[in-house]
Amino acid sequence: MMAAGLIDGWVEALLALVLVTGAFIVSRRDLHSLVFAYTIQSLFLVFIALLLYLAHPSEVLLSIALLTLSSKVLLIPYTIKRIQKQIKISRDVEFHYISPTGSLFVTILLFLFVYYSFSGVIGGLFTADKISYTGAVFGVSLMLMGMLVTFSRKKVITKIIGYLTMENGVLLFGLFLTELPLIIEVLIIIDLIIMVLLVTILAAGMDSTMEEFHNRLHIFRRED
Amino acid sequence: MLTVLFYIGLLLLFFGAVAPAIFFRGGKNQRRLSLALMAISASLLFVFASDVIYENQEVSMTVYRILPSFYFSFFIDRLSAFFILTISVVSFGVAIYSTQYIEYHKNDIRNNILVFLMGLFILSMLLVVSSANTFSFLFFWETMSLTSFLLVMFAYENEETRKAGIFYFIMTQLSGVFLFTGFFMLYLSSGSFDISAASIDPAIMAPVFLCLFLGFSIKAGVVPFHKWLPYAHPASPSNISALMSGVMIKVAVYGLMRFVIFVLEPQLWWGVLILVAGTLSAILGIIYAMKEHDIKRLLAFSSIENIGIIMIGFGLYIIFSLNNLEDLAMLSLLGALFHTLNHAIFKSLLFLTAGSVVNATGIRNIEYMGGLIHRMPKTALLFFIGAASISALPPLNGFVGELLIFQSMMQSHYLTDTLMQVLVIICLAVFALTSALAAACFVKAFGTVFLALPRSQKVEKANEVGMHMLLGPSVLAASCIFLGLSATWLFSKAGYYPQIPDMGVLGAIMAAAFLAIFGIVWVVSSHRTRDVETWRCGIRRGDGWFEYTATGFSQPIMNIFRSVYRTREDYRRTFFDRSSVIFRDGRAEIHLLNFFEVYIYLPIAGFISRVAMVMYRLHNGKLDTYLYYTFITIIILLVSMRWLA
Repeated sequence: MMAAGLIDGWVEALLALVLVTGAFIVSRRDLHSLVFAYTIQSLFLVFIALLLYLAHPSEVLLSIALLTLSSKVLLIPYTIKRIQKQIKISRDVEFHYISPTGSLFVTILLFLFVYYSFSGVIGGLFTADKISYTGAVFGVSLMLMGMLVTFSRKKVITKIIGYLTMENGVLLFGLFLTELPLIIEVLIIIDLIIMVLLVTILAAGMDSTMEEFHNRLHIFRRED
Repeated sequence: MLTVLFYIGLLLLFFGAVAPAIFFRGGKNQRRLSLALMAISASLLFVFASDVIYENQEVSMTVYRILPSFYFSFFIDRLSAFFILTISVVSFGVAIYSTQYIEYHKNDIRNNILVFLMGLFILSMLLVVSSANTFSFLFFWETMSLTSFLLVMFAYENEETRKAGIFYFIMTQLSGVFLFTGFFMLYLSSGSFDISAASIDPAIMAPVFLCLFLGFSIKAGVVPFHKWLPYAHPASPSNISALMSGVMIKVAVYGLMRFVIFVLEPQLWWGVLILVAGTLSAILGIIYAMKEHDIKRLLAFSSIENIGIIMIGFGLYIIFSLNNLEDLAMLSLLGALFHTLNHAIFKSLLFLTAGSVVNATGIRNIEYMGGLIHRMPKTALLFFIGAASISALPPLNGFVGELLIFQSMMQSHYLTDTLMQVLVIICLAVFALTSALAAACFVKAFGTVFLALPRSQKVEKANEVGMHMLLGPSVLAASCIFLGLSATWLFSKAGYYPQIPDMGVLGAIMAAAFLAIFGIVWVVSSHRTRDVETWRCGIRRGDGWFEYTATGFSQPIMNIFRSVYRTREDYRRTFFDRSSVIFRDGRAEIHLLNFFEVYIYLPIAGFISRVAMVMYRLHNGKLDTYLYYTFITIIILLVSMRWLA
């Protein structure tokens, strides 16, 4: 059994790395790096879950680590890679509302803001267990960063990565604060896999933006 | 035993209502059976309510529990029973009248829907006034609003009806919103949905009162929330107008009385507010009624006036009781309640007879009527009784109700506050003017509809309506006379002894005096008849138009109240000669400004429409935009979480 202090140190370092990957997803334009960043981020989550398991042995944590590894580190990135090959686009350079540089600033502000908001609400609950509080703040920040990606990017494939990042944020928050029940986590992962599969089926429209895709569908409908 | 009577009454009403909905292709006989069940139910409920009132009993029952704190429960004391009695008397008359009236439309399915909705409407009104908690109250209140909305929309093919229906729906929902807010605040403070005197935080007392006052005033048609009445009444079938104007608006009065007297602790300014709002409604209602030529619209404005009178009585009750003048307070409340019953009866009588006239002639504009007393003498007599009652002529019931309120106002010198005395005296003066104008208004209504010569061919061809359409209003007319003559006796039986003349004796004296005068005139007169044509100023037009018309009758009053109506007169004349001496042709128009519509309703509607436009633009149909809104919302939630923590 590792010492608790040591585990906390490692977890903090991993949390910082998760945030770095989040910042990476917010600001990068080429799709390969985005998927890579997402994969690495998920891997860090697996490590965090394992470290927490070492500190507080619980089958739920171990299961979450295994599920995350199989779905988010292996299956989902693999499927997205296949889509990328089909649609032959490698960069997303169109943005709504906010540019990648602006997004980075917003990310920093978001993090500070969530920290500030949480300090008044649940800060008092964690006077002894500082790491859980930090984890919860990182989780919500990551979730908001994912959301930022979903509405600021135009290409559907990037939006999906934003959505996956949001889910990673929820998982992180659940790991530290709410003891997210395993069954819900399993259901969310099934949803994610189905979503990615659906995206693969619809890959014909994936090289476009959302609006263009709609227009194409409308054209089909008119022809009916 | 009493409870059983109540249940049987409600069940009969329910079956009467539901049968046409189940057998919706059923014919005339099935509808007659349903309406007969409604009439029997009304009789049973009348007996039940009279017993509760005169034996001073209280009945309470819990019927159905949905969740621990959400349940239907009923509590009937004297106040509730009084309103049940009012509803049952009017429903009885309306049910009989409807058996024939609705058959004028030849569509079976639509007639069945009408009977079904009418039954539900009456049932919901009965259950609102019986509700023991705000949950039941609001549930049945909304049922009442919904059924009445559908009834107003009965002739939905007409553009005018649709407009009226939508207007009514918006106003009634607005009323619901205020009531819901008020009830919710009450619940937060007392922790219970029960309508009873609970410990309520004094700080929320005033906001709760304002919410309830607004909610009930909109439904009751108190100025300036009255605009739905003159639209909804002409649009709906006459039997429904009778129910809406006769009883539905009284249910709102009940609500206000129930909550102010039994739940809240009234303050002096509440009484002043109700008194002033009542006085304004009374005077403006009758002034607007005076200018109307649409018979049903005229009656609708007159309802606003009468609601004003009831509010005056209730406002005085609060003022007097807070000044420890218990006798005067009771006198005012008795006046308000008695006028509630009276107005319910004579207004439904007037609406029903007006409906008969409209059905027989096919027109609503009284300008084109006239001379109907020869074609429809029985309807004319019934309308006359209603008109005499509403004009507060002794010995009919309208006189007694108004007399009680006048008496209490005249004793306002017992109030210690001089300002309050002055206020009540001013209101008294305005109320007196209202009564005089009401009499003038109904002289106009009766005179132009029934007297003189017919002013259109449709009127000349009109025929008296059938037996049931006379029987229903006859019950109500008989009630007007009975309530007037036996008022003193009825009050004493209930334990109230107001200082009013014995109405039975007064009636006898008046009848004797009338007979004596008639006899003397008959004996003294020469019995010669003079048969000449009316002088027509040299203009060729039908005889009827040279008698008193509605416009001609109301013109002097319109001139006096020119500043209220904001009248604008347009004259267009052509002459044969250049010096404009020999008149050829011309047209005169009087335009009235809809003050409340132009200065209050339309600006608010415009503002809402602009806000809606902004909201519409926010919805651009793009996924990213909605995600962006969600993002901003989460940020705002986080901020508020920090502030609220």
